[in-house]
Amino acid sequence: MKNYKRLPIYLFAALAFGFASCESEDPVPENEGEVITDVTLNFQELGGGGNPVGSAFSAKASDPEGIEVGATPTIETVTLTKGKTYRMTITVTNSIEGEDITAEILAEGDEHQFFFLGSAFTNILTIAYDDPSGELIGLQNELTVSASPASNNGQLQVVLRHDLDKSYPGATNPNFEDFVKAGGETDLDITFPVVINN
Amino acid sequence: MNLKHLSLAIFLTLFLIAHLSLGQTCDLILRGKILHQENDDPIEAAYVWILETRTGAVSDQNGNFVVRDLCPGTYTVTVQFLGHREIRQTVNLTGNSTAQTFRMEEESLDLGGVEVHGHREAVQTTTAVSSLYGEAMLQSRGESLGESLKRVAGVTTFSTGNTISKPVIHGMHSNRIMILNNGIRLEGQQWGAEHAPEIDPFLADEITVIKGAETVRYGPEAMGGVILVNPPALPTSKKHLTEIHLLGASNSYMGNLSASHLGGSDKIKGLGYRVQGSVKRAGNVKSPDYYQANTGMAEYNFSGSLGYSSDKLGVEAYYSFFNTEIGILRDAHTGNLSDLEEIIENGRPFTNAEFTYEIDNPKQVVTHHLAKIKSHYHLNPDWKLNFQYGFQLNNRQEFDRRRGELNAKPSLDLELFTNTLDLFLDHNLKPNWSGAFGLNVIQQANSNIPGTGVTPLIPNYDMFNGGIYAMEKYLKGPLELEGGLRYDFRTVNAARYVGEDLQTAELDYQNFSAFVGGLYQLSPHFAFTSNLGTAWRPPNVNELFSQGLHHGAAAVEIGDPDLVSENSLKWVNGLEFESEKALVEITAYANQIKNYIYLNPTGETYVSLRGTFNVYEYLQADAFFYGFDLSGSYTFSTRFNGYLKGSIIRAKNTEQDNYFPFIPSDRMDWGISYAFGKSSNPESDKITLANVLVARQNREPDYDLAPAPPSYALFNLGYQKKLQLAKNQFNIGLQVNNVFNTEYKEYMNRFRYFTADMGRNILLKLNYQF
Repeated sequence: MKNYKRLPIYLFAALAFGFASCESEDPVPENEGEVITDVTLNFQELGGGGNPVGSAFSAKASDPEGIEVGATPTIETVTLTKGKTYRMTITVTNSIEGEDITAEILAEGDEHQFFFLGSAFTNILTIAYDDPSGELIGLQNELTVSASPASNNGQLQVVLRHDLDKSYPGATNPNFEDFVKAGGETDLDITFPVVINN
Repeated sequence: MNLKHLSLAIFLTLFLIAHLSLGQTCDLILRGKILHQENDDPIEAAYVWILETRTGAVSDQNGNFVVRDLCPGTYTVTVQFLGHREIRQTVNLTGNSTAQTFRMEEESLDLGGVEVHGHREAVQTTTAVSSLYGEAMLQSRGESLGESLKRVAGVTTFSTGNTISKPVIHGMHSNRIMILNNGIRLEGQQWGAEHAPEIDPFLADEITVIKGAETVRYGPEAMGGVILVNPPALPTSKKHLTEIHLLGASNSYMGNLSASHLGGSDKIKGLGYRVQGSVKRAGNVKSPDYYQANTGMAEYNFSGSLGYSSDKLGVEAYYSFFNTEIGILRDAHTGNLSDLEEIIENGRPFTNAEFTYEIDNPKQVVTHHLAKIKSHYHLNPDWKLNFQYGFQLNNRQEFDRRRGELNAKPSLDLELFTNTLDLFLDHNLKPNWSGAFGLNVIQQANSNIPGTGVTPLIPNYDMFNGGIYAMEKYLKGPLELEGGLRYDFRTVNAARYVGEDLQTAELDYQNFSAFVGGLYQLSPHFAFTSNLGTAWRPPNVNELFSQGLHHGAAAVEIGDPDLVSENSLKWVNGLEFESEKALVEITAYANQIKNYIYLNPTGETYVSLRGTFNVYEYLQADAFFYGFDLSGSYTFSTRFNGYLKGSIIRAKNTEQDNYFPFIPSDRMDWGISYAFGKSSNPESDKITLANVLVARQNREPDYDLAPAPPSYALFNLGYQKKLQLAKNQFNIGLQVNNVFNTEYKEYMNRFRYFTADMGRNILLKLNYQF
């Protein structure tokens, strides 16, 4: 029975310990590791034999806050010339963290793939994957402007899918409209306006 | 309105029965109730004897007894029950019938072989209460807490796929109901729709649902109801019992093992212990036509307790550990709104999965520690001092599909500490009064563990809640009346970074809550209860501060730091009829909630480089919930039995005159059973056929991603065999759920947008007690 007398002491010791260990940590700013803030389409005209001709140019889409409620992205217009062929490469960056995400996409090429859709591909542009590694990713492509385009403007929708089944029937086509059926989820979905010069 | 007519009918019936029971000369009735002095548990089979007339009665399972045909006069009444001190009392019967409550005290434990009841507190409330125990509990083994409780009328689930389910009581869930793990309020991250309660149903031998507002007794958030998950009482005398459950299921190839052992010391009188553990492993769930990718789960749980009780003092230490890893349906994790729309249109996952036990991202990894120490001391036969302290640590990690090294890091990593302290004094003043008053303290600290690479969904915060309360009950024979009052104060300090900006908030809330209730045992067959209670709930941290993308829902959710507390007034009425053959319980309720907090689609979208997202905001509006639960059973013969359960609920936003999302649709579950064991024990072999009918939810909110799925009907078949092997009990159960492999979608399942529910599932359940 003598043990009972000390019981309250044990109880309160346990209690004091419990209450003391319980303050929330001070918050720390979190590095937004996965946010994409800038997507740039780089164009280099190709001459006969696939050699670069003239100077390169680019069109950029940016959203400095990433996924936060606020500003909508600013998207530049892509201006191309009738009948010409371009090498189109894509660079993806996280400017908040100063991180180049292109390399990550390339490293995980078996899990990522770009699809190119929109009205620009009805009798204006044609596109083919041209990734140096041979894996169909879409970081480098060959884009050809029709010599007699159906219209002098259109929409170029760039979709980056992650975690998809790359061997899904039809998924080898860069214009594959049913890309959702290959599974996975969307990392990027940007529509660039396209203007075709004579 | 129907509600009015029904209550009128009930009151008329009450009145008539009350009149009939009034007696004349030599037609007087002595009725009453026999309870344990210790905890107010009713005593069944106590013997009431009137010396003068040599007549008597035996109390029923509710402790009620009736002695009829008495003339006016003075009588000596004795009440006897094994192991309890005999009561001898003089009762004066005049012109009216008399009601009397007897409280029996335990005798010393010296008597060898005397059954001594433990110190598990019975729920003392006049509001509607339903329990899951015994055979129903046995049938529910292997299911999550939420799924098990669907067996109680008026309880449904709010689920995320087939592995995450939260109980819903009368349309309320998450932070509007409270779950008690062996008396301690479970404090996990219950705000999340996809956060299942962190509790192992195997630790309980009884789960009780209180359907009324119980804020006074249990504190804020017990607004919609309370679920008590109670382990068996610890033995106080020499006794050993081991129980093993072994379960297997054909769907998801689930395997589940649980073992528990309880024992009482033969050396130290009053010392008892219990240990229990369970392991569960399941793979991909199969809908009738396809596997749901990445829907496996693994769970490892343990609990143990050690207790000592003497005639004055009781002490119990308890610890439980819960650990789960749950795969989230791969296709439910969508990148943006157009992804979401595509899969909804498709009606099923795009992924053609195979069976696997492997759990990949997206997934949740949750651990929960709960330790408590509890003690009571009998100051004198009438007053008892109670102390309870609980410590909880909840860790929740949620993993998404991410690029590169981030894939191995959780996107949400929360650590929640909770301390709870209860100190109360309760009393049983013979013969009529009992009650309690006390104080209750909750202190909580929530931290985001840095390194997730995602701005946290909710801030770090410290919360303190203090409450004081008092309640009293008057009990006289068939009548019980009770009332209570409580005051709470809560303060929340929150801080977080959004980008480089430090945002802080300090919020205070305070509130009174009160209840009154009554129970009237109209006759040995009829009992009527009524309970009116106010309740409140301060806005939760996610409702105040959410800001960010909710994957899966492709939604940006925005909190509002200016939200005020919800206040509710709930009236619950119950009518219970019990006879030899029939049991019927009707519960009718109405719940008026001021400033009900809900997530409202703004109709706006947010455009980013990733695509488009819906924007949702937390709003407040007045709400009105009402409904009925019905449950009944009828014994046609010793071999044939039938049962029926159903619930109807209506919930409306009375300000906007529209409906809230995720309110259960009308449903009914009925079945028949045939016992075909030997005539001496027909229940040893039993076959049950059940049919579950669920209506379409026609009261849909103005905006939903997809219309409510159609109504459905499921058939379940069960076979139960009980074998007595010497002194040991062996139970074999074979269940076939969704016998016809019907493809259906449940409105209350958030993944109805992506996939059909589980197909046919055949379960084998073995239980051995020795």
